[in-house]
Amino acid sequence: MSAGPKIVVTGIGMVTSIGTGREAFWNALLAGRCGFGPVRSFDTSRFGVHLGAEIHDFRPEDYVRKLDARAIGRSSQLAIAAARLALTDAGLNAEDIDTERAGVCAGTTSGEPHFIERFDDHYVQGELKKVGREFITRYPCHVVPCHVAMELGFSGETMMIPTACAAGNYAIAHAADLLRSGKASIMLAGGADSFSRITYTGFARLGAIAPDVCRPFDRNRKGMVPGEGAAMLLLELKENAMARGARIYCEVAGYGLSCDAHHMTAAHPQGEGAARAILRALEQSGLAPEDVDYISAHGTGTATNDRLETIAVKKTFGRQAYKVPISSIKSMLGHTMGAASAIEATVCAMAITEGRIPPTVNWNEQDPECDLDYVPNVARNHQVDIAMNNAYAFGGNNSSLIFVASAA
Amino acid sequence: MSNISKKRVAITGMGVISSLGDSSASLHSALCRGLTGAYEFDELNGFEGRGSGRITAFQAEAYLKGRNLRPLDRTGQLVVATAKLALADSGWTAERLAEHTAGLVLGTMFGSVHTIAKFDRHALEQGPACASPMDFANTVINAAAGQTAIWHNLRGINSTIASGSASGLAALGYAADLIRSGDQTAVLAGGADEFCFESFCGFERGGMLQTSEAFPVPFHEARTGFAVGEAAGLLMLEEWESAMARGARILAEVRGHGSAFDASAGEDRAQAARSIARAMTLALSDAGLSWHEVDCISASANGSVHADRDEAVAIGSLLNGRGPDLAVTAIKSMTGEILGAAGALQAIDMVESLRSGMLPAIRGLEQNDPCLPELNFCRQPRRIDGSCGLINSVGLDGNAGSLLISMSN
Repeated sequence: MSAGPKIVVTGIGMVTSIGTGREAFWNALLAGRCGFGPVRSFDTSRFGVHLGAEIHDFRPEDYVRKLDARAIGRSSQLAIAAARLALTDAGLNAEDIDTERAGVCAGTTSGEPHFIERFDDHYVQGELKKVGREFITRYPCHVVPCHVAMELGFSGETMMIPTACAAGNYAIAHAADLLRSGKASIMLAGGADSFSRITYTGFARLGAIAPDVCRPFDRNRKGMVPGEGAAMLLLELKENAMARGARIYCEVAGYGLSCDAHHMTAAHPQGEGAARAILRALEQSGLAPEDVDYISAHGTGTATNDRLETIAVKKTFGRQAYKVPISSIKSMLGHTMGAASAIEATVCAMAITEGRIPPTVNWNEQDPECDLDYVPNVARNHQVDIAMNNAYAFGGNNSSLIFVASAA
Repeated sequence: MSNISKKRVAITGMGVISSLGDSSASLHSALCRGLTGAYEFDELNGFEGRGSGRITAFQAEAYLKGRNLRPLDRTGQLVVATAKLALADSGWTAERLAEHTAGLVLGTMFGSVHTIAKFDRHALEQGPACASPMDFANTVINAAAGQTAIWHNLRGINSTIASGSASGLAALGYAADLIRSGDQTAVLAGGADEFCFESFCGFERGGMLQTSEAFPVPFHEARTGFAVGEAAGLLMLEEWESAMARGARILAEVRGHGSAFDASAGEDRAQAARSIARAMTLALSDAGLSWHEVDCISASANGSVHADRDEAVAIGSLLNGRGPDLAVTAIKSMTGEILGAAGALQAIDMVESLRSGMLPAIRGLEQNDPCLPELNFCRQPRRIDGSCGLINSVGLDGNAGSLLISMSN
């Protein structure tokens, strides 16, 4: 990948349970703020767990101007907000963009789950007559990037890559490829997921939801906390960004995507696929493990994920594994599903730009099987020239993305 | 364009499961004979509209003998079985898959919305503690791709693409580009969607389905909507040199891909047509081909009032008077709207058409809509003497894609 034209990140936008927009989000992350609370989106009285990381202060009307904000689903609303924030952050007006060469690539786990949940409510109440046209026009997951493109008037390639909890990384990788091959000039890439009863039910049934807080890599970690959110990164060719005098966060240096081909919901016991993704990303970027200054972990807070992710990092980084700082912002945001790796990609961009690393909060006791440097509890000043973003998903999907500081 | 030298993409095998056949040859034969997958519903009382319906003959056990099928839902079964057919057709054995990495890129509109809904409704009715972990694993939209990778040991890229009914063709373009750039050397690519109550109900409530008795005829004056169907199709795409090196039979070549979006949300028909034309033009320039090198078009048209016209206008706008000699067919006149599988089945049949020299007709199109531009619609199966076909795929929400396939030489 290092052979082609350089692809840079010039804008980032996100909506999260701890802050919306780059500044609010970044300050909350560095302060270690958590977005957890009792679930409000639906009744959890029949569940054994009640914790979620929902966004309470989001006003879609602030961002959705062209489309009818109330007609589209929450994931679309969140994605549009993140997209507008990223455009503004990049110093671009939608009017100044060659819209035929501007596209949108998004990732998700559930798309717009509220529409199928409402369908099911009608079904079990024997009121299927209440299902209207909006189910087919607003539910299928591809409408999320379509709505972003409609809102902004972008008419280049518009695509959803629903590879579950690694989807944001897949979307960014594809967007970078489109730019590199000359098929687009500007791409908005990221992910979005809204808080879903279906997802919550599933993770609760698997016993994967933490009863109190999410504490990734801690010996007493008890699970993840489902969340919601969206993030978009504005990607463009470096030469174009330089020509317009844009601020450049970093370059997308390379990626590695692989499949365990092992189990639908459990990672490979030796982290085999995850290790292959890491090695592939390094190879494609022309880098070695000792070059990496920061790893943004998948770090869900479940017993197995954190253990296997640690194994995969050790397997690929060798002794260097103990030197590279690793942190999981899911300790604060919970698991935002298809948005997670996109939000984490914005963290890599900020870490490179600011020279600071957000902490893994709620960390109290070392697990003998998780003995790396997880940047416990307190943000750290640390020069980051090269950051790796790891994300894993149901289906055995593994992804590693590498961002590097951009030389002037 | 980038001046990185691109690798060539060979099609070395195809697998299909559809209501019209479970091999590329049987599908092509059925299409050339003008058969349809029309199916009368019995379990959908209260819903109007007709479908090309479930593949009534599909029994996963017939394809996947001796293995535990319980972890797979219907979409998963269709894709796992179709992958088996495509792998066998291309000569990828289990031994080869153990030594060499192959990937999978699956286009789908819904994944399995039936599994998602069933899981949710079960938890609503019985309580969340009774929810099924096995069903939950299949509620993710990439479930079928993950299950197929597990079943066949596909350890390369595993991606799922959703662009509505344009998903399958988008998946083929995405996979072909990964091979052209050198990122992957072998990828199964295509699409699938199952026929289920939930999606059918949605299309019916959306007023998108054919309302008359006859099976929908694309480009017909009296068209009122589409028939929704079910299928899965996968093509094995391989980097040309490595396919040659292993002595693979090369069926055809993927030459280029283009995609565009209609940001007007269907409000501006002229813009919708322009976006389809843009996808076609981009595919040609991606392939380095010009119109006079294209011999036939497989249209996306499915009987929808607006989308069929937009596509005809788009094709007419690009032909510069070549309309009379460039044959246009539309296999959805027989398969119905098979959603994520559509682009894959169009591609599979294009390969068969180019190889056999016979292009299927648009079934039932005695008289096309006089409001459409004058195109060379295939009213009968047609001998074609050429080596290059263009496939269109137009989604319900503004996605448009085009793919160029040519005979290898």
